[in-house]
Amino acid sequence: MATHALTPAASTAYRGGLYEWLTTTDHKKIGIMYVVNSFIFFLVGGILALVVRAELAQPGLQFLTDEHVYNEMFTMHASVMLFLFVIPMLAGLGNYVVPLQIGAPDMAFPRINALSFWMLPLAGILLVSSFFTGGAASAGWTAYPPLSLDGPLKSPGSGQDLWIVGVILIGTSSILGGINFLVTIFKMRAPGMTLFRMPIMVWTILVTSVLVVMATPVITSGLVMLFIDRNYGGHFFDPFGGGSAILYQNVFWFYSHPAVYVMILPAMGVISEVLPVFSRKPLFGYKAFIFATAGIGALGFSVWAHHMFTTGAVFLPFFSLLTFMIAVPTGVKMFNWVFTLFRGQLTFSTPLIYAIGFLTMFLIGGINGAFSASVPVDFAIHDTYWVVAHIHYVLFGGSVFGVFAGLFYWFPKMTGRMLDETLGKIQFVLMMLGFNLTFFPMHMLGLAGMPRRIADYAADAGWNDWNMAATIGGFVIAVSILPFIWNVFISLRNGKIAGDDPWEANTLEWATSSPPPPYNFDHLPEIRSERPLFDARHGQTGH
Amino acid sequence: MSSSPRKRPAPDALVAGVVVVILIALVAAVFMSGWGDTLYPPKAVTAEGREIRGLYDIVFAVAVAIFVLVEALIVWSVLRYRRRPTDVELPVQTHGNNLVEVIWTLIPTGIVLFLFVISWQTLNHISVVSAAPDIRVHAIAGQFQWQFEYLDASGKKVATQLAPVYDTTTGEGGMAVPVGRSIQVTLDSPDVIHAFYVPRFLFKRDVVPGQTNRFEFTVDANEAGQVFRGQCAELCGTGHRTMLFNVIALTPADYDAWLAALTAKSNATPAPLPSGPVLNVTAEGIKFDTTSLEAPAGTPFAIVFTNKDPSGISHDIDIKDASGTVVANQDTINGGTSANYAYPALPAGTYTFFCSIHPGAMSGTLTVK
Repeated sequence: MATHALTPAASTAYRGGLYEWLTTTDHKKIGIMYVVNSFIFFLVGGILALVVRAELAQPGLQFLTDEHVYNEMFTMHASVMLFLFVIPMLAGLGNYVVPLQIGAPDMAFPRINALSFWMLPLAGILLVSSFFTGGAASAGWTAYPPLSLDGPLKSPGSGQDLWIVGVILIGTSSILGGINFLVTIFKMRAPGMTLFRMPIMVWTILVTSVLVVMATPVITSGLVMLFIDRNYGGHFFDPFGGGSAILYQNVFWFYSHPAVYVMILPAMGVISEVLPVFSRKPLFGYKAFIFATAGIGALGFSVWAHHMFTTGAVFLPFFSLLTFMIAVPTGVKMFNWVFTLFRGQLTFSTPLIYAIGFLTMFLIGGINGAFSASVPVDFAIHDTYWVVAHIHYVLFGGSVFGVFAGLFYWFPKMTGRMLDETLGKIQFVLMMLGFNLTFFPMHMLGLAGMPRRIADYAADAGWNDWNMAATIGGFVIAVSILPFIWNVFISLRNGKIAGDDPWEANTLEWATSSPPPPYNFDHLPEIRSERPLFDARHGQTGH
Repeated sequence: MSSSPRKRPAPDALVAGVVVVILIALVAAVFMSGWGDTLYPPKAVTAEGREIRGLYDIVFAVAVAIFVLVEALIVWSVLRYRRRPTDVELPVQTHGNNLVEVIWTLIPTGIVLFLFVISWQTLNHISVVSAAPDIRVHAIAGQFQWQFEYLDASGKKVATQLAPVYDTTTGEGGMAVPVGRSIQVTLDSPDVIHAFYVPRFLFKRDVVPGQTNRFEFTVDANEAGQVFRGQCAELCGTGHRTMLFNVIALTPADYDAWLAALTAKSNATPAPLPSGPVLNVTAEGIKFDTTSLEAPAGTPFAIVFTNKDPSGISHDIDIKDASGTVVANQDTINGGTSANYAYPALPAGTYTFFCSIHPGAMSGTLTVK
């Protein structure tokens, strides 16, 4: 019989680097693309914020003499930061980490995973392109009708329509991603990885995915109705045509309040990975932490109307009580984190430093949120700069510090090289100073009566000094990002080789090479607790 | 284990303790020095505002206590439990403690329930809306101007204040109210959502189209003669920040005189058409019906101005010269009304006429020759 040599299978043929990235269904590459894409939009949103802060530095209109442009700036700043940075950045970290942490070779639906990602740059281009097609959306990221409807002095341009389509695309991407995470987490865990042995990061992504899958379709339908109102003469939200302006707010916040937890829970997951590793202790109260996460997720669906206390169309005591109650599981988490540090052996590497930044700053964001739960106090501070301070202490003090903790923590896994510690610490100090200089004075501005979303203010209103401080702080934050970009640039080329497990970590992603092979694992260690690598290193004596 | 945490060298604990004490002292110093005052709302001038302030003070005290406690715990743990080169063995692997976890669930629950109850009580006090208030004001917020209608006990309009901002030189404009009397405000919007916000009241309420909101307040008697800043607090478009107004607190006698004057002004027969050339301009849908006007040089002229927009949306026709100096400043008129505007003689040249409330959407060229 004739024999002939086996030719290599076609699928192993070399694929060019760019082609590979454009067509990949590998969750790790998709995760990295999520992170890079989100970071680019972080820069875009940051520049928009700098324009806003530059205009507000002093009374008088200095740069944006057309106030319409000012309204576009803060509308797009918030839209880009929330929809194109915070949510996808955390989804991207989850995308990279979750399959590795549960010992799976990939996400459950790799092609849908690629689809969810590729919708994001498309949506981002739609949103940003509106600047060049007659003006971006300018009705605020909340897009309340009737202001967001068509009409003179309202939102006549195509910018608002592009915004709606962009946000619907992002929402669709989120829903697909959420379903993918849920199926992955429930069906693809490695043998031994029971639910109560999953890393907290996986738990937070699980709860986040439930929120996304339940809440996002609601805002999507609301935005479709808004689009119909604007373009086809619908009157869903037009009070002069039989519609209701308040209906939109209920629909909008039914998504957008849970969305706040979508933006913070995975960041909590990140620091719940980081704090134990760099304290050499397990997370204090692992199960309590999981129940608290689930509790926040559940309560998150019953507090949406606390954004609407001043509308006169809300059953106030109910939403006040439930908003106050959210402080309880959040407080439990805070104590769990602090007691993880307590009596540990702390190594102050960059991930831990950013995680501590999260703890100290998110604490303020949690506490100043309780003021809004108190309805009469909310009557004073609602729609003032106090609220701007609050959301930034949660989303910057919390989410952004959490994101950087995660980036410094997993960069070695993603690239095989360490980020530079000194540059990371310089960045942290600048960011911490700039952040507090920007956002703490906003508490005072809000109490002194400065409303949000105004392009200018009277010179004798008493707001000049705090505004100047906030603007200087904003530019310090911008400067703090430069060392990070430089850090990534030099570390990719010359960074210290990481090895499989540079941090002596606990979870499965560190049991494979850095970066991991496409199929993730050659073999898995035994999984007998939420810290399989710790067990492998120290055995049962460690417990 | 030989290197249990309790037997560690002391310096870390000393440093951590000193830092925590310094930080607590700093917080205390902030409040002692008066800087802490910036973390409180301004002094309230209404009975309702004072209740809100009392509630704020309690919430704030609880917040500061929790902040100091947790922040101190974090700083202590971070400074005290640094890993030393001698720390080879693992620290004690504490997985949790049911007792402390129950405690730190129950105590915060108690605290938030307490805050909820006192908030609810305050809410009930400040939300009372009586059937027969002393004064009724119907505030209408349109893009981008407030107007205040004064109603009698039966709800019938007796006077309209079209100038929402108090002018310190003429003493005109603003929403005047008598101190010590209950003022009921009803809120309506002809276009988008606005919000009635007076920082010194510690209060705001949205003005929602299609829904009439209502609230009540009483200005403290010792505030008579004061003027309070007010502003739209809900983004309402490009002129959002220009939607300013003032609340003027008057003694009841001064208020009665003020209202009588406003009533007389509201009922006054409109100024007759002055002699000289007359132009006609109509505003509708936030637009003038023309973008170019012509007037003879050196002669006073008049414009018969008709505002066909809905009530609540005000317009006027002001004129500025090529350098941007406003040379004619007219009072705004409400939607659904008309006025005869008299203009002074202007030298030949090109001018801009514009609506002072919607300068972006409503302007045109006035050629004087």
